[in-house]
Amino acid sequence: MDAFRIQKEKTLYEKLAILADAAKYDVACTSSGTRRRGDGTGIGNCEQAGICHSFTPDGRCVSLLKILFTNECIFDCKYCINRASNDVERTAFTPDEVCRLTIEFYRRNYIEGLFLSSGVLKSPDYTMRLIYETLCRLRTRYRFQGYIHVKAIPGASQDLIRMTGFLADRMSINLELPTAESLHRLAPHKSRKSILSPMRYVQEQRKENSRELSLYHHAPQFVPAGQSTQMIIGATPESDYQIVRVAESLYRKFDLKRVFYSAFVHVNDDSALPARSDYGPPLLREHRLYQADWLLRYYHFSADELLSEERPNFNLVLDPKCDWALRHLECFPVEVNQADYETLLRVPGIGYTSARRIVRARRTGILDFPDLKKMGVVLKWALYFLTCRGKMMYPVRMNEDFILRNLLDPREKLPKGLGEISYRQLSLFDDKQIEEVKR
Amino acid sequence: MKRRYICTDTVTGVLSAIYDAWLYDRKDTEAGIVFWGSVQQEMFCEYCEVKEEEKKAAAVHRLIRNHLGEEAETAIGYALLSEDPGKGTAVLRTMIEAQNLPEGKRIMGHLSHPAVQKVFELSRNVSRESHAWTEFLRFRELSGGILYAGITPRNFVLPSIADHFSNRFPLENFVICDETHCAYLLHPKQKSWIIFRDEERKWEIEASCSSQEEEWQRLWKGFKKSVTIQERKNRKLQQMNMPLRYRSGMSEYQDVRGKS
Repeated sequence: MDAFRIQKEKTLYEKLAILADAAKYDVACTSSGTRRRGDGTGIGNCEQAGICHSFTPDGRCVSLLKILFTNECIFDCKYCINRASNDVERTAFTPDEVCRLTIEFYRRNYIEGLFLSSGVLKSPDYTMRLIYETLCRLRTRYRFQGYIHVKAIPGASQDLIRMTGFLADRMSINLELPTAESLHRLAPHKSRKSILSPMRYVQEQRKENSRELSLYHHAPQFVPAGQSTQMIIGATPESDYQIVRVAESLYRKFDLKRVFYSAFVHVNDDSALPARSDYGPPLLREHRLYQADWLLRYYHFSADELLSEERPNFNLVLDPKCDWALRHLECFPVEVNQADYETLLRVPGIGYTSARRIVRARRTGILDFPDLKKMGVVLKWALYFLTCRGKMMYPVRMNEDFILRNLLDPREKLPKGLGEISYRQLSLFDDKQIEEVKR
Repeated sequence: MKRRYICTDTVTGVLSAIYDAWLYDRKDTEAGIVFWGSVQQEMFCEYCEVKEEEKKAAAVHRLIRNHLGEEAETAIGYALLSEDPGKGTAVLRTMIEAQNLPEGKRIMGHLSHPAVQKVFELSRNVSRESHAWTEFLRFRELSGGILYAGITPRNFVLPSIADHFSNRFPLENFVICDETHCAYLLHPKQKSWIIFRDEERKWEIEASCSSQEEEWQRLWKGFKKSVTIQERKNRKLQQMNMPLRYRSGMSEYQDVRGKS
């Protein structure tokens, strides 16, 4: 008589299991971007660099208590496990349960704060109000001063978003898919407009708030750690070039702090989604996109330098920076003791921290390769592109294939799924072949 | 003849040794600092015992702050918490080298000098370890409502994590026990923290947990299980980000009832 079983009230443990499981495909779990000292009357503070408190067996960090407020949803997005037409167990927290979980986990140093998202219950406004009430209670009654990342629900009213923004550190609205057509196809209840207009609104509020803050030092802060968004990779046929272009314009036009990429994981079967394959989520592609994302944000690269209409996808064998360097050998080698900061940034094996260290250190002395190693430069990559006092570390032929063969020692980690490749076959331009193996 | 200054392996000890060395060997790049209990006898070398005083240490601290700048003060502060036996000598030689620069405050940028490199490396090592402990340290609530955490760091990180935790939990009574160095960080509610060293291991911690503790640990374990995406499993990446040596104190890797 299972059909007549009356549903019992779920325990906190069961609710947490369901609602954490439902939130796990959201990638953003960072606690960085703002620094706040506790004022001594409550609990919590924020560190600029963020703190990860644990790592799950999939290697992703657990920094925030990442949960949905409820997994009930009136939207029917085809890629989402909580879509209205799926038959999954539904439940919801009460505001007080969320607060208690956050505080007790925080006290034990399990988490750095709260990440609160939600399915759309009844209407966007109704859901957003619940989220607001929860945050308000956490900030005022529990005097929580740690990190809060909150999702803005597409379609919620501007007033609610504004009120919530003064309680949260970071706010994000998911772009979900890189182009408007894909969004229309897979997420029929969302539109480009309902996603971009709150994003623009948060951006404008932040600008206004920064003017306020320069006048009144203690004015309340609106989303101090900025806003972020995320895109699903591999559910729709966009190329890497399109994705990187979208990310670039989001950084430029919307002042986003981060764009996250999430490799598409098959949770639903739907004719609009790509067919299931044995390869699992496109993790390597996601990884390359993140690498390119860092090049955009910290290394002064632009999307058009990395990819083009003719080469729309990243080389899966090489990271984007190395790939760019090999295609522009005419710029190398550069002299460590003279090259400017921007040029150093473009050398594979030199990160922005080591580039800064190099620029400082050469003011007081002349640098040589062992010094570079101590500073954290990865010489294995950098030695092909650098000279110290006019000399390279070893004599190197400045030839693409030669360098590529040396960079990719076949005994070392080749990306999984490529199978057996002898390096003689490899050249920069046969990545098409490899993609066929992979995709 | 070159000199070696012998002191205890404490911050006050090393700073006092630097004070003495600064009086006699300010120009001598051969002078060094060694610790009681780990002295390697060298030939053609004169050994001096250091009389350790807070006053000397404070004077050297002032000297560093005024002439080497804030950045060097932080770096040296971290380096002195390291377990490396060469730390005193490296700091001393960094200070001597700073005199040779036209601008002493640039010293930490002068990474082509071996002593500066060493201080830089030690400070990076200690600050990374401190950061890791702020991540992976786990409190548990004892029956009196006191939070307790045990850590097993390689370097003496307690002073560098104390401010972080006392600012974070001003209304909590908490204790962090450094099991490697037998030291305790005590933070009474709304008061400032203190560090005790207990070298004879006289102290014992009342280990019974509060009634709620077990349930919260269970919830936390359940949460971690739920947020894992099976399709993306990557144990190696997990281990790279969270090395095994940190896991001994983490409640999610312990059996609640099996714990003493």
